[in-house]
Amino acid sequence: MPIGGLLLRRVALVVPLLFVILLGTFLLVRISGQDPVGLLAGPTATTAEIALVRESLALDQPAWVQFGVYIGRVARGDLGASWLSNRPVLAEILDRAPATLELIFWGVLIGAGIGIPVGLRAAFRPDRGFDQASRFLSLLGFSVPTYWLGLIMLFVFFYLLDWAPPGMGRISLMLDPPPRVTGSHLIDGLLGGDREVVGSAFAQLVLPVLCVAIISAAPIVKQTRAIALEVLATDYIRHARAQGLPPRQIRAMALRNSATPIVTFIGTEITGLVGTTSLIEYVFAWGGLGQYGLSAIIAGDFAAVQGYVLILALFSVLVFLAVDVFVMATDPRA
Amino acid sequence: MTAIAWPRLVGISRRSPTLAIGFLILLGFAAMAVLAPFIVPFDPVRAQPFNVLAAPGGAHPFGTDGNGMDVLSRVIAGAAWAFGIAIPAVVVGIVVGVPFGLYTGYRGGWFDEVAMRFFDALRVFPSIILALAVVAAAGPSLFNVVLVIGLLDSPVFARVVRAEVLALRHSGFVESARAAGNPTWRILFVHILPNAIQGAMAQAAVRAAWAVRISATLAFLGVGIQPPTPEWGAMIRQGAEYLVTGQWWVGVFPGIALILMVLGLNMLGDGLQDLLDPRRKAATR
Repeated sequence: MPIGGLLLRRVALVVPLLFVILLGTFLLVRISGQDPVGLLAGPTATTAEIALVRESLALDQPAWVQFGVYIGRVARGDLGASWLSNRPVLAEILDRAPATLELIFWGVLIGAGIGIPVGLRAAFRPDRGFDQASRFLSLLGFSVPTYWLGLIMLFVFFYLLDWAPPGMGRISLMLDPPPRVTGSHLIDGLLGGDREVVGSAFAQLVLPVLCVAIISAAPIVKQTRAIALEVLATDYIRHARAQGLPPRQIRAMALRNSATPIVTFIGTEITGLVGTTSLIEYVFAWGGLGQYGLSAIIAGDFAAVQGYVLILALFSVLVFLAVDVFVMATDPRA
Repeated sequence: MTAIAWPRLVGISRRSPTLAIGFLILLGFAAMAVLAPFIVPFDPVRAQPFNVLAAPGGAHPFGTDGNGMDVLSRVIAGAAWAFGIAIPAVVVGIVVGVPFGLYTGYRGGWFDEVAMRFFDALRVFPSIILALAVVAAAGPSLFNVVLVIGLLDSPVFARVVRAEVLALRHSGFVESARAAGNPTWRILFVHILPNAIQGAMAQAAVRAAWAVRISATLAFLGVGIQPPTPEWGAMIRQGAEYLVTGQWWVGVFPGIALILMVLGLNMLGDGLQDLLDPRRKAATR
């Protein structure tokens, strides 16, 4: 089948997925038992407005009609208004998304930069000291509570050593954030050419990025090792070995064949990291999407929670889609 | 019995030190959970207003917290809370997931297809956020925490068991059980289940680790169990504010306990998977 047709079929699969996602977020608010009218109208709505919203939501209709109304609202980009700020949830989320993406981007970049070579080395010399040590460290990385790691980082590098700034946001409180272009203070600062802003934004980034890197590296090490071991056990590698190819060439072969599954794994890992990162954001008062979502969960602001969970799910769908397209483009068998 | 069991245990721990160490760590925590009332030096929830934030040493090896409660006693008492949530949550996951996986794998067809697509769809929600949001929505009682974690675990168990069932469905002993006129439930639970449960057991340890993490995270955020209950996540929450003023012991010790327990469960799960999966073992050689 030509790649265009495959692509189209893959995109078509998203539709039932979206349906399940919307059903999930719809049910989430129903479980909470909060009045969806209040969620949509916001805390300052008058009685007349509330009556209007009640009618527009079809609350006198059966649940499946209400679900249809909800789908229609989401399709128009209306995720309701936050109880706490009375602002549209979608606008608040989009406002904060760049801060989170910035954290995940640098964190995964460093995490993969450490995790992939370590995993490969462990697989090439299995059961030796390096392999044992890396397996243990990876298990340890799996087991550390994200938020605790952030707290310990702050204790060591801010309180004890005074190398890092306090974990209070993305830029020093003494400075004004740079004019918004991308939403990343580091990049916007570089664009604006303000050295002090760039320095402060960088200093604020170091610890939370380090946390994301550690948390993301652990599964990357484990998975890279497993993938490379599986490739090394295949017939063509055994054949190459039997022919007496030098180890360097065999490793290069194994690396080429491991690349696609490793990238696929990192793609799926990113979707989970969006959740984990929120805890790091919470500890460092990062003010991104994750902190917004967690605060909403803690405060019981379910219009915001619903929008947050929906956006995260949509983000995962996009990442999964991108990974599949990448595999199609690079793997001649697909 | 023991004469036969000992050499086997030694053999297993030599083949998989990971498994043995994980098992020993858990044994330690289990002892802590059971013996807590007899071994805690102080009542874990007794406040001493004149002995607040005492540094580790003397009568309080782990120091005291902001209420003057003994941190060591609270860390010990926390083990029971961790087990008390993880075990029932995993039981819920197994009780719901295993029969479902058995049935859907055996039945096959459109039902199986739809169920698997549904489980796939669930994966787009980051598990931590989904658990937090659902628990917050349902109301953060202990019962709900256990129920939500267990239900979110059940697809994992269903998937593992289903994969085994697919491999066994057309094997000789299943075919003959069917030919002998056994009802479906009997084929599923008496003939297939004992042969399909191993993978689920290895998963149980990994899912228990996840349950301990999630319930502690909930408590850390203030959504789950509330202080002064000696739960590790809630204790880290209390300790968070003292870390940047130098009283590290309030938050550090419960964090270490949490890491060790999750590490023990993960090592147990990892070791079991290695032991049970001959292909994976061959690959590690």
